[in-house]
Amino acid sequence: MTQAASQVGCATCERAIESCEVCDRADCPTAVCYRCLAVALRQATPQPHDHGG
Amino acid sequence: MGFTQVYHYVAGKLDWMAAGGPIEGTGAAQPRAGGVARADVPTCGLDERLGEVRERVKAAGWDACVVVNQERVVFGLLRAKELDGDPDSRIEQAMRPGPSTYRPHVPVAELAHTLVDHDVPNSPITTSDGRLVGLLLREDALHAAHQAHQAEEGSP
Repeated sequence: MTQAASQVGCATCERAIESCEVCDRADCPTAVCYRCLAVALRQATPQPHDHGG
Repeated sequence: MGFTQVYHYVAGKLDWMAAGGPIEGTGAAQPRAGGVARADVPTCGLDERLGEVRERVKAAGWDACVVVNQERVVFGLLRAKELDGDPDSRIEQAMRPGPSTYRPHVPVAELAHTLVDHDVPNSPITTSDGRLVGLLLREDALHAAHQAHQAEEGSP
């Protein structure tokens, strides 16, 4: 029998994640997913337009 | 307008900032992760033994080491807990793989909050293609954020 990976919910968007993106803990009370962290820290890199500009 | 050399940075302004490129204008003076991170953090490779790396790291006065390849792309991180592991183990087995990394342009005040909230002592700062810029220590981030806040309050 396989065991399902333990999951927590992102405190911002409630998406199920295996562990907090910041501290890597599965029991983090303020767990955050990669997407919400990137938005919160404004570190996401938007893709450039095909035509540039 | 007198410009003789003009380039089009296709990946965009944010990628330029994420690569640690110089910026100017509103907000340029606020401290950012890339400027506060310590570039002299010890590094090691995947094939080294933990015991040798630990000696080297401690001799340099550190309790953390970033695992990189020859291009300085970050593969993992050894914090105090990992450094205390079996000295005969290979770094690949001992390291914390794929640690969360942050871009150099992230305002250090925001990152300081994140590191405190999640009780994380340090985090690697990398360019958007994964190359190590330095290790941001939580106390450095807090200090820089506090200084910037004081300077802001003191300015007219």
